[in-house]
Amino acid sequence: MIAVPRLECRRLAKRLPSGGHELTVLAGIDLAIAPGEFCAILGPSGSGKSTLLGLLAGLDRPSDGEVRLDGERIDDKSEDQLSLLRRAKVGFVFQSFQLLGNLTALENVLLPLELAGVAKPRARAQELLAQVGLGERTHHYPSQLSGGEQQRVALARAFGPRPSVLFADEPTGNLDAATGARVLELLGELHQREHTTLVLVTHDAHVARHAERRIHLRAGAIERIEFGASAGGQGASAGGEGASA
Amino acid sequence: MKTSEVVRAAWRESRGAGPRLVFFIACLALGVAAITAVSGLVDAIEQALAAQSRELLGADVSVQARRPIGERVDAYFAFDDARERAQARETPTLAAANSKSRLVELKAVSANFPFYGAIKLDPPAQLGELLDATTCAIAPELAREFGLALGDELALGGQPFRVAAFVLDEPGRLDIAFTLGPRVFVSLAGLERSGLEQYGSRMRYRELYRLPSAPSEAQLADIKRRINDELEEAPYLRIESHREAQPTVRRSLQRVESYLGLVALLSLVLGGVGVAQIVRAWVASRTQSVAVLRVLGYRPREVLAMYLGHVALLALVGSALGALVGSFAPHLIAQLATDLLPSGFEVAWSPLALVRGVALGVFIALVFSAPPLTAIWRVAPARVLRSDIEPLPAPRVVAWLAGAAVAGGLFAASLAQSRDFAVAAGFTAALALLAGLLVLGARGLTRAAAHVPRERLDPYLRNGIAALARPGIGVVGATVALGFGVLVITLMGLVESRLSERLRNALPADAPSVFLLDVQPDQRELVRTLLEECNATSVRDVPVATARLSTIDGVPVRELAQRRAGAEGREQWVLTREQRLTWARELPADNRVVEGALWSDPARMEVSVERDFAADLGVRVGSELVFDVQGASVALLVSSIRTVEWESFGINFFLLAEPEALEGAPHNVLAAARLDVEQERKLQSALAERAANVTPIGVRAILEKVLGVLEKLALAGRVLGLFTMLTGLTILAGVASTAAVHRGREVALLKTLGLTRAGVAGLFGVEFALIGLVSGAIGASAAFALAWVFLERVVELGADLPWPMLGVATLLTALASAVCGLAANYRALASRPIESLRG
Repeated sequence: MIAVPRLECRRLAKRLPSGGHELTVLAGIDLAIAPGEFCAILGPSGSGKSTLLGLLAGLDRPSDGEVRLDGERIDDKSEDQLSLLRRAKVGFVFQSFQLLGNLTALENVLLPLELAGVAKPRARAQELLAQVGLGERTHHYPSQLSGGEQQRVALARAFGPRPSVLFADEPTGNLDAATGARVLELLGELHQREHTTLVLVTHDAHVARHAERRIHLRAGAIERIEFGASAGGQGASAGGEGASA
Repeated sequence: MKTSEVVRAAWRESRGAGPRLVFFIACLALGVAAITAVSGLVDAIEQALAAQSRELLGADVSVQARRPIGERVDAYFAFDDARERAQARETPTLAAANSKSRLVELKAVSANFPFYGAIKLDPPAQLGELLDATTCAIAPELAREFGLALGDELALGGQPFRVAAFVLDEPGRLDIAFTLGPRVFVSLAGLERSGLEQYGSRMRYRELYRLPSAPSEAQLADIKRRINDELEEAPYLRIESHREAQPTVRRSLQRVESYLGLVALLSLVLGGVGVAQIVRAWVASRTQSVAVLRVLGYRPREVLAMYLGHVALLALVGSALGALVGSFAPHLIAQLATDLLPSGFEVAWSPLALVRGVALGVFIALVFSAPPLTAIWRVAPARVLRSDIEPLPAPRVVAWLAGAAVAGGLFAASLAQSRDFAVAAGFTAALALLAGLLVLGARGLTRAAAHVPRERLDPYLRNGIAALARPGIGVVGATVALGFGVLVITLMGLVESRLSERLRNALPADAPSVFLLDVQPDQRELVRTLLEECNATSVRDVPVATARLSTIDGVPVRELAQRRAGAEGREQWVLTREQRLTWARELPADNRVVEGALWSDPARMEVSVERDFAADLGVRVGSELVFDVQGASVALLVSSIRTVEWESFGINFFLLAEPEALEGAPHNVLAAARLDVEQERKLQSALAERAANVTPIGVRAILEKVLGVLEKLALAGRVLGLFTMLTGLTILAGVASTAAVHRGREVALLKTLGLTRAGVAGLFGVEFALIGLVSGAIGASAAFALAWVFLERVVELGADLPWPMLGVATLLTALASAVCGLAANYRALASRPIESLRG
């Protein structure tokens, strides 16, 4: 039961000019995500996953429809207002880590903390890095860290200001299986501890298996939705052919 | 976001910046060095002037006039019982010895002169004690010229004076001031014996005061005001306190500073262009970081603040470095060019010049980084998800503000340098116009390069042209910067060489080469004979009466002068100066009446006034001028306004009266004639012997003096222009090295394909030479065009430019550019072929 959804979109559409005509990337998406929910968006390449994430996070503007965060419309906000909103409520984890190359691990984590005006940001950044197992490597530059370590720094950075929503875009896409599993485990732990709403985008059903709800996209539309973590096999599906494997 | 966060973020961004740092710092350091050098030098001279002001003036207060100063002035200083008074009189006159003669600056002083500062004599002595009615002290260069030793005799006004000492140093006599000849000191009694002080002589009188009560500035101002209000002769007096320290020298110093300051600013502005180039490349390489920052919630203006902070940090380092280097310049000049600075001056460090240089450097860097930094607004946060995302449109107001920042910044900087609103506005507008032209030229050439069918060309040339056409590697910026450098140097070289040449050949064939001042009426025939003996041509002599203007249309001149009290210089001076009137029935050939008619009112005595002078006086046809001619009041009606061809160098006057008007007035005669150099010397000797009171002024010598000053200024201008050129080359090297990484791969590939290292160097050399060729061609052409306009239309001297130099300048730029580009790619050239196998 959803009272005020953390995140909500209605008739969300995105069209891009392509050659002479318009290409519909997303068409009429309706979705509501509750506070604290772990929701995964799944689909093959080109299904519109990343576009949906960009729109939900206010990184991009829809062609049609609306997006609300905590009941407040965000699709009509200015770039500056969106920046302030992100700083207060939204965190990100990317496939390619997106750490700033000229900053150390600690400084990368510090950045959003300082921006959000968190008290004693340095202590909090140290603590977060310790939580992701990098307490000893705070002064290393991204280029001196492995892919998994970089992604763990990115996780620490994302959770730092305690965002109400965290978007993760293929967070394990550039990592080997074991490292990816460790990162997902950490993501789950942090989600539990911080009660953050988590929106994960992936093409990998295995990565999405811990999500409370899995939204399958195909060709810019919702194909089906599954509920419940799939690992225990109690998943239920709606609008589709049933639980995934 | 807090300032400390901006500083921290900026510091982080500075790490690992590598070559960007070097070129950024170099671009600014050069310009700031030029600016600091100029203002440091001027500051040093000003400081010295202020610190030694008493010594320079020789007194606490000096009262100066072109006529004897009345006793009533002394009453105004009576408040100080312990006051001391000294006198000095100065005039240019002929000195002769050993059958040689020349013009000298004679100064007659009372025994207690000067109160402060010492006139250094060889053998050491007190000037006042040394001089009596029969002795003199002379400058060593005069002694050398005449072959005089101590005890020898020198004739002044036909009277012999024994040389008692040589003047080694005289405070207050500056090289930058205009002097007619070497110094000769005599006593007041000596001056009287020489008989040089007679009617019409060009004597400058000076009363000097030592005031032990040390009156404040306000007290002195009050005395001045009272003298002005109460004394009839006040308009003719110049009262100077040591606190004002050489106002005329300071004024010309300020003009020099304004001119050189702007030339120096040019190299800083170019440095700004370089900074813009570097920032543009840097922001482009940081698009992903900007996108991440945007995703993290930074607003564009906060990202801007971060990047501006970084710019400011680098600018501070570069400017400080430049200021430090530039502040050595006055010391270097003091060591190398001793004659440029007044003797005995200690060059002091000028912290103000340092601060000023650093401030201007940082300011220009910030202002010029504004336009490239607007790219921040165009970075879409969604770029973190897809790299092909469309850039956002930058808000119009941001682009507009960035443009305004550059224009406003330029204006503010030129105002700071020139301290003149109109000059600053003109300078900014001219810069904008030139930059626009250079950008257009550079763009046009890169476009043209893209369309040149290059398939059949030599591979070296093909590669070079292709590089010119390659978009977005900063070719336009580098071309503009280098072109500006070439423009400045070429333009200054052209204008200076043409001006000096014109001045050297300035004398029209029949123009007089010598003027004879202070000829007494009874010497008129003698002078004519002497001139004839020397085979003089174009001989002319006219009577001159000196007078003071009393009223214009019934309004006393004193009142008019007071009304103009705020205005400096000419405006007041035209009213209060000693007016020189001549009279004649006919107009000289080079005069033309443009308004009214000559001697047209039979009932009135008339005067004809030169047009510009009439405008300065504020008179027109029908005005009435009343003159005080040595005590007699003469009213003259302005019946005509005329123009004078001053370039003819003939005898001409602002005021020409009807002959009957000044009949019987005391006067002397001004003669002029043309002689060759040899005959001029002969005439001088003859005059020294037979009419010693007559002062011959050689036009050639004066032109030489002007040339000397012009050459010094032009040299300084060209040295500063060199800084501009260096900055341009630095920018070019910066552009070249930004592309060096990419070039390393290119070199490896080319070597794999079989090109030798020298071959690759040749390939790149051609490319950079082409950029230089384009910059050189545009810059030098613009310089020739501007020089032509200036010489032909502004100073109307006729251009006659050395057109082949256009090609030489262009080729030299190409060469410099090739050398510079190769030097910047030195490391890339060393890439090994194996590297082409790695991705």
